[in-house]
Amino acid sequence: MHSSILQAINGISFAALLFLLASGFTITFGLMRVVNMAHGAYYLVGGYIGLTITRYTGSFALGVLSGGLAVIPLGYLIDRFLVSRTGENHLAQVLLTVGIAFVLGDVALHIWGGDNLKVPTPIELRGAIELPGGIIYPTYRLLLILFGIVVGLSLWLLYRKTQIGAVVRAGVDDREIVSAIGINIDWLFVLVSALASFLAGMAGVVGGAFLTLYPGAEWEILVYALVVVIFGGLGSLEGAMIGALIVGLLDAYGRWLLPEFSYFVLFGPMAILLLFRPRGIFGREG
Amino acid sequence: MNSYRVILVLTALAAVLIAPLVAGQYWMSLITQVYIYGLLALSVDLLLGHAGLYSLCQASFFAVAAYTTAILQVRYGYPTIFAAPAGLAAGTLLAGLYGCAVRTRGVYFILITIALGYIIWGAFYRWASFTGGDNGITNVPPPTVLGLSIASQTAYYYFVLGVVILCAFGYRILTRSPFGLSLRGIKGSESRMQSLGYRTTMHLYMAFVISGAIASLAGVLYVYYNRFINPVAASFQISVEVSLMAIVGGSGTIVGPFIGAGIFLGLRNWVSSFFEMHTAVMGMVFIATVLWAPGGIVGFIERWRTGGRMKGQQ
Repeated sequence: MHSSILQAINGISFAALLFLLASGFTITFGLMRVVNMAHGAYYLVGGYIGLTITRYTGSFALGVLSGGLAVIPLGYLIDRFLVSRTGENHLAQVLLTVGIAFVLGDVALHIWGGDNLKVPTPIELRGAIELPGGIIYPTYRLLLILFGIVVGLSLWLLYRKTQIGAVVRAGVDDREIVSAIGINIDWLFVLVSALASFLAGMAGVVGGAFLTLYPGAEWEILVYALVVVIFGGLGSLEGAMIGALIVGLLDAYGRWLLPEFSYFVLFGPMAILLLFRPRGIFGREG
Repeated sequence: MNSYRVILVLTALAAVLIAPLVAGQYWMSLITQVYIYGLLALSVDLLLGHAGLYSLCQASFFAVAAYTTAILQVRYGYPTIFAAPAGLAAGTLLAGLYGCAVRTRGVYFILITIALGYIIWGAFYRWASFTGGDNGITNVPPPTVLGLSIASQTAYYYFVLGVVILCAFGYRILTRSPFGLSLRGIKGSESRMQSLGYRTTMHLYMAFVISGAIASLAGVLYVYYNRFINPVAASFQISVEVSLMAIVGGSGTIVGPFIGAGIFLGLRNWVSSFFEMHTAVMGMVFIATVLWAPGGIVGFIERWRTGGRMKGQQ
């Protein structure tokens, strides 16, 4: 009983991390119709930069912030000069962004080396907390859940309740009409892609503090994010939330109950879901 | 086929036949590798160039076939005559299972095949008691066909060459058959093919399974060439690299994937001999191909020969 609750909390905290990455991926697709396979590389690069800043300044919060901020110009340049030239050809986008991810990953390997690096967390977050029911759980991962909820809620409010969110949603539905009524859609694209890069970079630092950072981590985390998006439906923020929870929990229980086949536990249900709803839970036709 | 092309084909055939006489060990090994990866790239191109589907799980069929053959030969001591067809069957069977992905199109298909590919990689990697985990399966013996052991490098070169040429002929017949034409029709306009009464999903499923079978064949050839297999063979990177080979060479042609494999592997071997960051260089090749040569080398030559008049490129 204890372990199953423990695994549930593990799953939810992993889900919080996955949501940070998948939300950006899904909204960029929804609005700009861009599949950005370099999203995992943004995670890794943001994580490494955050790690370096945290080591130099000793402030974890500053590391998280700078990891996110540093990826914004990178993401902007990639979008502006490379991805924009592919139009809506998803095949070209996938190949191009995979190429970008190879370059970024190799440069990161050259700078930070091939070892597993852990982003240092402040002393206050290193201990464990006793939860009601006598479960001892690491403070950091509990706070990660809280962080995920705060980010998720703010994104949801931004998306559903503000003027900017309304414009973005309108853009997801029909961007020609949005630009026809005088809204500068290019500016909107820049804003959304900056937000997505920021979230990915921040996720790298936050995730690097418990999953560690290493060459290849960008692909592992990207695949989880893809499965989140496939479960939830491409382009849906709510779908990313639900998808992250499903994936986080499936992964935690899979690793616990069937360690050798945890990938089947994760991908099996995905395949079955696809047979009935090829576009995910919240996905729309079109 | 005009006389120009006949001469070209005959010259190429002569070149590959006499290659073992002039090339050293290093080049022989590289060229054999080009044939095997070229075959894998051809399997990508059946879907990409003819049916318009971009599958990123071809490495799964390749690796499952290779692992099945290796495990049967090494661990259970079955002869090649049994192990190789079993590997081929296992990879094709997996393609039959994964074929359900053709229910989706476009970007969903791409994402789903990536995820499906990771299942296989994960299984080989984590199910260490059966697959050997990170170390994989080592000491695969040379293949024995009809009592003859194909142990020398030159003999295996000719064996692979023979298989590849047979496959290329089969592929040519397949793509020119009514079935092949229907795939092109689906690529052009699926809704139009549906309104003509074609069961397009069924056609795409068949194409997916055939493509999986070609990839499996490449896997079997690979395991006997490499003499060992590990989870890297099933990785996403391999799937992406072979699709780049297909595109670099020229999508929708038979020689294209092989030319692409030659360029890709040659470039990688050359760059990695003097430059540490060769992955970054290969990444730049990806970027450059997408931006400047989406029709690949064959498309490039074609455009040059026709003086810029070119059929619409995808």
